[in-house]
Order: sequence, then C-alpha cells, then structure tokens
Amino acid sequence: MLSAMLRPRRLVVVVAALGLVGAATACQRSAGCTGAYCGTLVFAAVGEPDILLPPSTQQVAARDIEEQLFLKLADIGLTTNTIGDEDFQPLLAERWEWDGPLTLVFHLDARARWQDGQPVTASDVAFTFDAYTDSAVASPYRANLRRVASVKARDPQTAVFRFRERYPEMFYDAVYHMRVLPAHLLRGVPRDQWKTAPFGRQPVGDGPYRFVAWRAGQTIELVADSTFFLGRPAIRRLIWRFSPDLQVAATQVAADQADGREALYTPENIARVRAAPQLTLYPYRGNAYGYLGFNLAANGDTTQPHPIFGDREVRRALTMAVDRARLIKSVFGDFAKVPPGPMSQLWWIWDPEVRQLPYDTVQARRLLAARGWRDSDGDGIRDRAGERLAFHILVPSTSQTRKQYAQLLQEQFRAVGAQVEIDEVEQSVQSERAAAGKFDAILQAWNNDPSPSSGVPQVWSHAGFRGSNFLRYDSPVFDTLVSRATRAASSKQARPLWRAAVETINADAPAIFLFAPDNVAVFHSRVVDVRLRPDSWAALLRTWRIPPDRLIDRDRVER
Amino acid sequence: MTAWLVRRVAASVAIVFAVVTLTFFLLAAAPGEPLLGPDERQVDPHVRAELIRQWGLDEAPPVRYVRYLRQLARGNLGLSFSLHRPVADALAEAIPNTLLLAGAALLIDFLIGLGLGIYQALRVHRLPDVVLGNVTLFLYSVPTFWLGLILLLVFGAWLRWFPVGGMSDPILCPSVSSVYCTLDRLWHLVLPALTLGLVGAAGTARFQRAAMLEVAGQDYIRTARAKGASERRVLLRHQLRNALLSFITLFGLAFPFLLTGAVLIETIFAWPGMGRLATDAILRRDAPLVNAAVLLASVLVVAGNLLADVLVAAADPRIRVRDTT
Repeated sequence: MLSAMLRPRRLVVVVAALGLVGAATACQRSAGCTGAYCGTLVFAAVGEPDILLPPSTQQVAARDIEEQLFLKLADIGLTTNTIGDEDFQPLLAERWEWDGPLTLVFHLDARARWQDGQPVTASDVAFTFDAYTDSAVASPYRANLRRVASVKARDPQTAVFRFRERYPEMFYDAVYHMRVLPAHLLRGVPRDQWKTAPFGRQPVGDGPYRFVAWRAGQTIELVADSTFFLGRPAIRRLIWRFSPDLQVAATQVAADQADGREALYTPENIARVRAAPQLTLYPYRGNAYGYLGFNLAANGDTTQPHPIFGDREVRRALTMAVDRARLIKSVFGDFAKVPPGPMSQLWWIWDPEVRQLPYDTVQARRLLAARGWRDSDGDGIRDRAGERLAFHILVPSTSQTRKQYAQLLQEQFRAVGAQVEIDEVEQSVQSERAAAGKFDAILQAWNNDPSPSSGVPQVWSHAGFRGSNFLRYDSPVFDTLVSRATRAASSKQARPLWRAAVETINADAPAIFLFAPDNVAVFHSRVVDVRLRPDSWAALLRTWRIPPDRLIDRDRVER
Repeated sequence: MTAWLVRRVAASVAIVFAVVTLTFFLLAAAPGEPLLGPDERQVDPHVRAELIRQWGLDEAPPVRYVRYLRQLARGNLGLSFSLHRPVADALAEAIPNTLLLAGAALLIDFLIGLGLGIYQALRVHRLPDVVLGNVTLFLYSVPTFWLGLILLLVFGAWLRWFPVGGMSDPILCPSVSSVYCTLDRLWHLVLPALTLGLVGAAGTARFQRAAMLEVAGQDYIRTARAKGASERRVLLRHQLRNALLSFITLFGLAFPFLLTGAVLIETIFAWPGMGRLATDAILRRDAPLVNAAVLLASVLVVAGNLLADVLVAAADPRIRVRDTT
C-alpha cells in the first residue's frame, strides 16, 4: 500500500528533478564562449596523480598534467630521437650552445614567467637541478642525472650545465628528466617534506595552463594561460576526470561523457569506442613491452641456478615452443607487435630484422629431449631424474592481458610437455616476490622512457642485479655491447652495437619477449591538430584546437 | 540504563581498539611492495631505500605500532604515502561522500523495504505477495557489484539516462553552488544509491514481512479486533508499531552492510568516497590510510549498533526491565 502510494510521487519527483536539470542546462547553454580560444576537453583518466610536484613523482597520471604546468628547457621531438640535440625543440630555453665537450649553455627565453608574475631565471634552473639530485627529495629521476656534475646560473638568463663525461645522450639527460621549478616558492620548504608539500596540490607553474582545482577522487582542472609566452593554447579548459577502472573510463568516453583518453589497451574497448560516431581513434607507438621472464636463479635462492631455467638450451626450447604472433592476435588483435627483443616500439633501436629464435615446436621438443627431459611415464609431462618439467608463472591479478597470456602460454607449453601452474597475485605482491627472486617465471611488463640507454641496463645487465634485473640474467658479452652502444657517438654507430646486444640476449633466451602494444588513443572528432608524442601523449596538448564551427555545448560553458 | 550504556560504550571502545591493533599487524605482516606506483617503471634502489627510510617503513612493526598509537592519541592519523598528503585530509574529503551515498541507500532500503514488507504481509499468500517474494529473493541473492554493473550498463551506457560514474558534472558543476548542481549531484547519486539500496531493501522487505506476520498472530491483535478497533487502527497502532521494533535492530545491522557494499559500489561508479579510498590504499599497501579507514569504519559500525541498541531499549520497556533486574 505504502509503495503504491509512493510510486506516483516518486515519479513526479524524478520527473521534476530531471526537468529542472534540463532547464538549468538550457540556461547554462544560453551563455557561452565563441571563437578560436574556446573549448573544454574532459579526459577520462584511470588513476589519480599522487602529487603535482615533478621531482617527487614518476606517475604517468601526474606527468600528463605536469606537462601543462611546468616546462622543460627543451623537449624531445616527435621522432623521440635521444641522441644529440638536433631533434629537440626549444621551450624555456630559446637557444643553447656547447662550450667545450662537457659544457652546455642554455639561454632562457626572457618572456618566460611563473604564473604568479615572477620571471623564470637561470637560478630556478640551478635550484631545480639541486632539488632533483638531493637525496632528501628522493626523486625517481635522480639516477638519470648522475652524469651531470653541476648546473650554475651564469646570469639571470643563462644556465650552464657541466657533465662528468662525454656521451651521446648528454643533451637528452640535461633537458628530458627535469621540469624547472619556481625557486622563490619552494626554497623555504624543507626538502624532506617535499613529498607532502601543499605546493604539490596547488602548483604554480610556467606552462601553457594554470592550475585551477583538484577535487580529490574526482577531477583536476586547468585553464589556459592566455599570456603564455610561446602562444596562447587554443583549448581553454582541460579537465582530468578520474575513474578507478579502465572499463568505466572507456564507457564514459563511448557515452560522450568525456572527450577521450590516451590508451584503450584492449580490442574490446577499441571496438566499443569505434562504434561511437563522435569519436576518432589515434594509433601511435606504445612505450611498453612485456615478456615471460625465466628466473635463472633458484626460486628464493639467488646463489643457486634454477633447476630448469639455469639451462640455456631449455630456455631456448621453451622460447621456440611459443607462437608469439598467434598470442598477440588472440590478446591484442591488430594492436600490438612481437618485439624483436627487450624493447618497446618507442625506442629508436626497434629493428624487426634482428635475429630471433623461431617458433619451431619440433626443434623445441628435440632440444628438451637432448637435455634429458623426456616423458618417461607417459603422462604427457616431461621429466628428468624424477623431476617433472613443471614450473609456476607469476602474474599480476590486475592485468587482464597478462592473465590471458598466462593461460595461453600454459597451453602452448603443455604441447611440448611442460606443465605450468599460474600464480595470480596482486601487483604489489608480484613486485615484492620479483625483487626477492621468489618465482620460477614471471609475466612482466615495463613502461619505458625514450632512451634504451637506461632502460636496458637496469633490467638486463649485471649492474641491474641491484635494480630490476629480477631474472638475474648475466652476460658479460651483452653488458659490453650495451655499454659500447650507450657510449657511441651517433645513432649510426650505436645501431649495430644495439643490434648485436639484442641478438645476444635473444640467443640466451632469459625471457620470451611477447608483446609491444600499440597505443590507441581516442578523442572527440571536433578536436583537430591532435598530435600525440609516443613518450608522452599530452606533451603537445597546447597546440590542439577546436574550430569555432565545431564547438559543442560543453565548450561554450563559462565558469 | 546509564550503567548499561557505560558498559556498552566501554565494550565498543575495546572492540575498536582490537580491530585497529589487528589491522595494523595484519597489514604489517601482509606481503606486498608498499612504495610501488601504479605504473610499471623501474625504481632506482637508492631512491627506494631513501623513501622507505623517510616513510618509516624500515622500522620493526612493534616500533611503528607504538608510534602509531602515540600519533593516534594526539589525533594524528599520519601521512598517506600513496596520496602524499595527511590521511585526515583525505578522509575528511571522502567521508561526506560515503555518508551521502550510504544515507541515500539507507533511505531507499527502508522506504522500499518497509513498504514492500508491509504490503506483502497484508496480502500474504496472494499473487502480489508471491511475485514480490520472488523478486525480493532474487535481489537479495544478487551480488551488489553485479547489480551495479548491470544498472551502469543499461541506464548509463545504453539508455544514457544517468551518468556513467562520478559525483557531478565536471564541466558545469565543479562545486555545488547552485540548485542545478545540487540536482546534478542527486542525478549522479541515483544509480549507486539504487544499487546499494535495492539489495538492502530486498532483505528489509523479507524481514519486515516476517515481523508483520508474527505480530499479526499475537493475542493483543485479536483483542484489538475483538474490541472493535478498525483495521486501519489495528494495522497502524498495534501491528506496525510492534513490528517496527525489529526494524530498529535491522537499522543497526544495515550500517556495516552499507559500508562494506560501498567499497565495491564506489569503485564501480567512480564515487569518491571512503570505500574507493580504502580499496586503492589496500592495493598500494598504504598502511596509514588503510589503518585510518578501518578505524573509521569500525567506529561507524560500532556506533550504528550502539545506536540501534539504545533505540530498541528506549522503545521497548521489556529490555530495560530485564537489564535492571
């Protein structure tokens, strides 16, 4: 009876509320911005930045927003070539020159201003270097700056970098890792408190956009700085809308409740947004690669070789047992490539002609048999001296892609007589176990910055034993080749060295290099001049536009 | 009554303390890398070691526990290392959002649940009762997250009647400053509140139906009818009033249900509340934030139960009599 009474009333309330929403929306629509400098873009982001203070965070979510707030001295070009300085574009520095082999001089653009009106000076640059390399700040970029000896302000417009040694990526190291910070606002903050400094939640920058608001768990909003010295950004407002989940974010875009996102990751999401007529897809080179890594040391004991994977021939056999092209097709569709080695598509060393182990199950079976692994009891699983050819694959439960891969690999290994158990664990547990060497095999993925010179040694060289070389791959030949490649004077000299290094690791097979995804971004079709730099999709946002005749209601809204 | 209340409060404090202690040590013992970011990037080992030192994670759990209790005694919940901010600030922003969602869900739960329960009891064993009984059983059996996903898919993505997640329109309503924005927030509230509320309402309806039927067979109902009281008076003054006593207990029990349900629903609907905050914190092994969220949740649950006990004691004289004798 009560519900019957309530029903019509509830209906009236809902209808009235929706009517009011509609009316209010109509009112909001009547006023509005017109012209070339209107437009609001809402990005459906997964995950929220921890802090907007560049030296204190490595998060991609933070980086995308910091790109708009804080400038670098110069930025890498669309080619993402990290060698030399010819492909770099001026930003805070209007020009630069080399003063001897180890000294790089930047001349700042005199028009550059902090958003509180103070000029950007060379003292800010020196202060920034000091902060990034201060152990109290514990910046994740500190290691990238280890070969820069000092940064000094020669005068207010001139910053001088001195290097410890000469190498091809000196310019890249000088400009890529640091975003210049306002010394006058941060000098008073104790360095060990930077990680929780209020500045990081209400930053003042020098970039094309100003910070407006951060609503925790909801949005971060920026507005274009109409006085930006490199030209007024065409899109007036940028809003990052945070979702805890990729599916929710993709649904918001497909339902026209957000204007886009930089990566869709799965063929299902791509198909979903492709069906939405208001959207355009933008494929671009991905910056990640994934592999099945074999622990060369015993599970939980790094002093002993692994009973299965300590044998190079067994690793080669297992690598040849995997049809990587078919796996890619099953999991990523057309939106990934088989990596020719430990590399993402972002790196300039990407070379499909590199020699790799073929997919050859006959050869794989032969190799396993030659190493004594035979199916003696006819149960379909090979064994040797009473030990079965069985191992566990560690996989993060949060990655659908890698969980799929684990199951497919399980099948392919079974076909050659290897038994696989899948251990799904949380990402944090996977990282802990990886670092402790407590695993047999691991499905791992890395996001890279544009230079192979830091990413490869950290994960695959002997020096990486203290870092991310969880597999404990140790090849002096590989290490020497990588070391020579990172010191080569030009990309022409470096390329054959990189190729030889990658062929060495491919032959040793410490891992099966499985996927290097393409990134597929999606944005509303009204946006033009969309250029996505593979290492940082939002780096060129200030040049995107919405032509006046394509503005829609949400572009015209005034605050 | 006062002595009873003091005993109940003391027991509640002890429960909260036990929960806090257990949570602290369970978290300390749980596997997982605490300073891992959401992106898979290499971390320099020296930087990692420095961060571990700065966040105090290099100390033994008992040392951390003592420091935590000292902080807590001063009202300091610590710093969140996944959010890079004081835990209290993060919670202060999230709690009102969760309370709004839980409050709306509670309203839906009891309005619909009570209404249906009474309606079914009045038509017991007839077609509407049978149909509603099956519907409520279905809803009660459905996992909250599944219902949420279905509502989101149908009414958000397909029909586009409601927003796909979030708490307000990020363009038009960055803050609630107008009637439009208040309505916009309510509009965003509909699906998550319905999801939580409907599942609860199904349980409440079944509970209330049973309570109504139990009361209907009591002597005093027969007596009231024999004295010539109207059906309306029998229903409202005698049957419903007595059946509502169990409803108060249900109110206390609904609190933990809503809070635990909100954890999933806030994630599905991108609702920026405590549940979502706690989920992220658990995944990131952010101990200060998890500890604070558990502390707060346990206080709310214990307080909800205490409130229900007090209300029942106030409403039912028999309970007071038993307590004082």
